[in-house]
This record gives sequence, structure tokens and C-alpha cells, in this order.
Amino acid sequence: MEAPPVTVLPVIGGTINMMEYILQGSVLDQSLESLLHRLRGLCDNMEPETFVDHELVFLLKAQQGSPFILRARRSVDKPGLPWHLRYLGQPEIGDKNRSALVRNCVDIATSDGLTEFLIEMGFRMDHEFVVKGHVFRKGIMKIVVSKIFRILLPGNIDNVEPLSLSYLVELNVVAPPGQDAVSDDMKSFSEQLKPLVHLEKIDPKRLHQV
Amino acid sequence: MQPQEEKQLEASVDAIISRVADLKSSLAAFILKLENEFERMNWPSVLDNFALVSGQLNTLNKLLRNEKTPLLRNQVIIPLLLSPDRDDELMKLTEGRVPVFSHEVVPDHLRTKPDPEVEEQEKQLSTEAARLAPDVAQKHIQSLNKMCSNLLDKLNNTREERESESGASRQNKQTFNPADTNALLAAIGFGKGLSKPIRPTPQGGPVSSGQPVPGASLQGGPNIAQVSIQSGSNQQGMQGQVPPQQGQPGKMPSTIKTNIKSASMHPYQR
Repeated sequence: MEAPPVTVLPVIGGTINMMEYILQGSVLDQSLESLLHRLRGLCDNMEPETFVDHELVFLLKAQQGSPFILRARRSVDKPGLPWHLRYLGQPEIGDKNRSALVRNCVDIATSDGLTEFLIEMGFRMDHEFVVKGHVFRKGIMKIVVSKIFRILLPGNIDNVEPLSLSYLVELNVVAPPGQDAVSDDMKSFSEQLKPLVHLEKIDPKRLHQV
Repeated sequence: MQPQEEKQLEASVDAIISRVADLKSSLAAFILKLENEFERMNWPSVLDNFALVSGQLNTLNKLLRNEKTPLLRNQVIIPLLLSPDRDDELMKLTEGRVPVFSHEVVPDHLRTKPDPEVEEQEKQLSTEAARLAPDVAQKHIQSLNKMCSNLLDKLNNTREERESESGASRQNKQTFNPADTNALLAAIGFGKGLSKPIRPTPQGGPVSSGQPVPGASLQGGPNIAQVSIQSGSNQQGMQGQVPPQQGQPGKMPSTIKTNIKSASMHPYQR
């Protein structure tokens, strides 16, 4: 039950399918400070932005094929912000030389009744986690340095433990399809973060074999 | 003079002029830099300037040694007319440095003989060289070559050692762990390593689809949910049995699957 690839979908009405270009890496806790300093220097000048989010991942099982996954995220530290519902497609298998992972992405802001709505629709919550971290921006690129926390007791956001001793670093751009030059900009930016972090495109299918 | 030689001469003189002009401009820039910004200068930028000048000198030398360059030594420059009047043409050609082509200017600019002291020293050196027997001279040459190569080897070795050292020291401070990257991405991608939630029993019939399709990504996830729908009374037991201690991602499946087998005897199981 995957959304068909972007090339097949007609552009109907006003919605344009956006693609997310993403590069991922991680940094150990002890090197976090140097990474944040470097990002503060490289990225646009703005107040350092931290966030605490709670993400729930919902699955809709299909009779055949892989399940349909929707991700619902809400802000824990800034109440009043809408929920963010996101669909991420399979990574596009295209140009091997393209430096970033490209996948279809649909982002929607919703009201607070999202979880009940999804459960009524037939989705089932598969897993949830808490993300705490920092956001930086450079032009259209967004860099997120975050720590993933495992929720020990379901429903209890305060009782969390970190999943690993590293912070996840993601560099992503959401852009209309076909703009592959974006991935070159991302590549050159990621070069500036070496050797602290190696941002690379990591195929999700490879992770299944771990 | 043959026309071909003339053309060659002209071409080479033009080339020499342009190289010398480049050299002059880079020297002038360097001097300006030294005079105005000497507080802010650092050794690498001074080295850069020196390297630039040395490179330009090299190209000039190469040009002079070029086989297309005629033997300039065979050309003679003779002043034909000297006058104490200002010459605007000359001013333009020399960028205002030589206003008059007169008796004072000509000996300095058209000189070919070295200074008397320099001439003396050169004569001394050449008589001394002539006095050396050829085999002694050969031995001198060999020892010079050996010393130069020793020095070069030493310099190259220290450079290699230094680079390997800095590489090694950087290796020790690993700032990221690729295994962690994979673990984190697996966690947010498909929930590996995160404790699966136990869904509360819904009011109506079964909400999720019938057959649990065990995809590789949902290791035991759907099974738990199925069981929790159907074995409402066992829910408490299930909660206790889902250990939250998943220190390493991947340990989860084995413990949970065994629990499922024990709890899945329910009359309503599809």
C-alpha cells in the first residue's frame, strides 16, 4: 500500500508532492559541543532552537505488501503547536551519483484529535519515542541534531531513557521533485562537518539486516 | 638578419617582457603588502608570496632556456642617438621611470659587463676551479650530490612521519560511531529497540486486519497487538512480560515470541 512513485502521479489540484532529500549521521555525546559550535558558525544566524517532540508511528496493515506508515509528531515543550502528520515514501532508486537519499514526503499540520482519528481509521500505533535536540537552518537546508529516547511506560512521556550514547544528525531539504542540484549543495555542506560527523545516505533497507 | 630569425627574436623578446612584467607586479604587490599589512601577515602568506615570485622566476628561466629563443648573447644593443631632451615616447614605454635617454642613463641601462669587484671574484673562482685536478673535482661533485640526497630523504621522512602521527592521533578521538548511527536510524525508521506499546482492548471487534503479516520490520509487533486484543484478561501478564530493558536492539523478538505462544490460545483467534 505504498503511494505510487512521483513520476506516475498526476499533479491534481493544488497539491504538489514534495520530495525530501536527506543525509544522516550520528555524533557521540562527548563530541556534541564541538558539533554544535561548528553548526552555529556554519548555519544561518538565529537563536539556538531546541525542541522536545513526541513522535508516534502508526501502521495500517494491508492484505498484501508492506504496511502504510504515518508519523504523528507533537511538541512536548511548546504546547499549543499543532500536531504534525508526515508520510514518507520509499527512497527513490535513481541516480547512483545522487548524494542524498530522496523520498516522497507529505507534511500536514493537524489538530489534537489526530491519534483518535487514526485509530478509528484503522491505523494501529506501532511504536513511539521522544526526540530532544537542536535545529539549525541554512537556506533551505535544515539540520537537526537530536537524541532519541525510548519510552519506558507507554503513555508516560516523563519516564524516558536514551536509546544510545549518540546524537542523530540529519540534514534534510524538502523540495519539489526534480531538483537534484539540492543534493550537491547538501553534499558540500556535509563536507564541512567532517571529520566530526559523516553524513551519508543510508538505505533503510540495509538497516533491516542489522 | 633572416626574417625567420627576426620573427623569433621579436616573439621571444615579447614573451620575456610579459614575464618580467608579471614578476614586477607580483613583487610590487608583495612589497605593498609588507609595508601596509605587516601586523596582520603570517608566515604562510609570506611563504605564498615567495613561492609566487620563485615560480615566476622559474618560468622566466625556462623561457630563456627554450630552444626557440635565439641566442640573445649574440645580439648587441648600440645607442644610436643620445639627447638630453625629454622623450615622451620613452616615458610611456618605461612607465615614467626613464624620462631622458642621455649620457647618464645609457651606461647603467645598457651595461653588459659586471661590476669590477664582481669581475675580480669571478676571475678568482675560475682560476681556482682550473687548478683542481679532474678526479678531485669529480669527488667533490659526488659528495655534494650525496649530501643533497641525504638532506632530501630526511626532509621527506619527517613529513611522512608527521602526517601519519597526526592521522593516528585523530583516529583516537572518534567523534561518531557508525553502529550507533545504524541503531538510531533503525529505531526511528521502524521502531527497532523501542519498547512496543500494548494497545488497550478496543470496544468493538478486531480493529486491525486479520492475518498477522510478519514483515521483517515488525518483529513480533503485530503479534503482541493481536494477542492483546484477544486475550484481554492476560493483558496484565503481557505488560509484565514485555521487558523494557532492551539494551541492545534486536534482543526483543526472541523474548516476545515465546510469550505469544503461551498466551495465544483464545477461542476467538482468527
